[in-house]
Amino acid sequence: MRESYRNELKATKAEVVDIGRLVIEMTRDSTVSLVEGDLEVAERVIAADDELDARSRALEERTLETIATQFPVARDLRLLYSLANINVHMERMGDLAVNIAKATRRTAARTGPRTMYDLIRAQGNLVHRVLEAMIEAFETNDLELAYKLKEMDEPIDHLFKQFFRELSRLQEEDEIEWASSMVLASRYLERIADHAVDIGERLVYMVTGEFEAFDESLGGEEEPSTT
Amino acid sequence: MTVTSAPGQANTPTGAAKFSVRELDFYYGDFHALTGITIDVAENAVTAFIGPSGCGKSTFLRCLNRMNDLIPGARIDGEIMLDGADIYGQGVDPVDLRRRVGMIFQQPNPFPMSIYDNVAFGPRLHGIKKKDELDQIVEQALVRANLWKEVRDIMDRGGLTLSGGQQQRLCIARVLAVQPDVLLMDEPCSAIDPTSVQKVEDLMAELKSSVTVIIVTHNMQQAARVSDETAFFLQEMQGKPSELIEFGRTAEIFTSPHDRRTEDYITGRFG
Repeated sequence: MRESYRNELKATKAEVVDIGRLVIEMTRDSTVSLVEGDLEVAERVIAADDELDARSRALEERTLETIATQFPVARDLRLLYSLANINVHMERMGDLAVNIAKATRRTAARTGPRTMYDLIRAQGNLVHRVLEAMIEAFETNDLELAYKLKEMDEPIDHLFKQFFRELSRLQEEDEIEWASSMVLASRYLERIADHAVDIGERLVYMVTGEFEAFDESLGGEEEPSTT
Repeated sequence: MTVTSAPGQANTPTGAAKFSVRELDFYYGDFHALTGITIDVAENAVTAFIGPSGCGKSTFLRCLNRMNDLIPGARIDGEIMLDGADIYGQGVDPVDLRRRVGMIFQQPNPFPMSIYDNVAFGPRLHGIKKKDELDQIVEQALVRANLWKEVRDIMDRGGLTLSGGQQQRLCIARVLAVQPDVLLMDEPCSAIDPTSVQKVEDLMAELKSSVTVIIVTHNMQQAARVSDETAFFLQEMQGKPSELIEFGRTAEIFTSPHDRRTEDYITGRFG
């Protein structure tokens, strides 16, 4: 019985890794849809959210069932509890990717200043790197890599603040409307990376049993200033 | 040994120490069964001793009320203090010690006499003769053992006519009737039905405000449910004496044990 329990723990973790890969794909596609103005890709991201939600719910049930029937303790308990927690983060990251795809619906019809495209593209690339590192750290229990996530996240926050400053330079009303959607998308990207940092914290707990906050991440709700 | 909750400090994660054990070694003749046991068992708490079969947890439990004295060739090195006094010291009467430190065994062992007489046995032995006083002691002990409601109308019936779970609670009442400070329980639930298990677990939680409870259990979920502190014992190699590997708050032992061996045991990877 313990053998099948061990296999179940492994399989549950593998499913969370898979869900993470789906989230990475959704995030990447949503950013591509935004900078390319590609509505087709945006709709694909929005549609993928149903799959993400279903898998996320199934995973929650699966972890609950294991907890109810196997009485996990110590590292097994921390693993299952952390998987459930990471699952919630991933589901929210997916929602944020959907929000970015929805921003594409509002922005695709026109173009804006090149600087803003460049900024969002750069931000998207950095977020992608953070997510890839997050999933690798998680898959291999690589704490060294998990600790790096916070550092990797910093330029993303910086780019978002820069994006916000760009917004204040705009004059025309319809351009401002366009740019507001873009700035929101930038904010969503930044939040996705924050979730990845929180997953890194969770990973440290899962492996060591110690709660350790990597400074702010999602705890910091500080809004950027335009001044 | 790892002290999970308070590394480098006194080995009592919570509360004052009822038992202070220092560097205890125990031998059955040539066989060295336990080594280097240092632990403070908290007063008015439930402490669980866990570990694989043969890890010495029951042997250690029996050191705490000198039950091992009855085994030829048994001896100890080190110190066991109860409320600051050495229980192996000169002039200590083991019978008196066992009144203060009562014991419950895996198999309920009521005397072949009535329910009432079972519970009144100890107090009578200690010279209490008055009917009123005995009645009161018997009722109180049965109430504390969660058995009173089931037996109040059948007090004359033989203790052995009760179900296994009721017999176990009768034995607990018999121990409680002599007002012990400590209750040692050696696998008290492994031979009784689930409803009685629940009742025995409930009474441990109720009793701990007035009695220090130490339980040896193979059932890890029971240790996690009932105890405030958990001590993990292990015999690492055949022929070597067993040791106390880790001791700490139960919640911590079962979420983040510090010693890999504790982790492996409680997650079912060995033992």
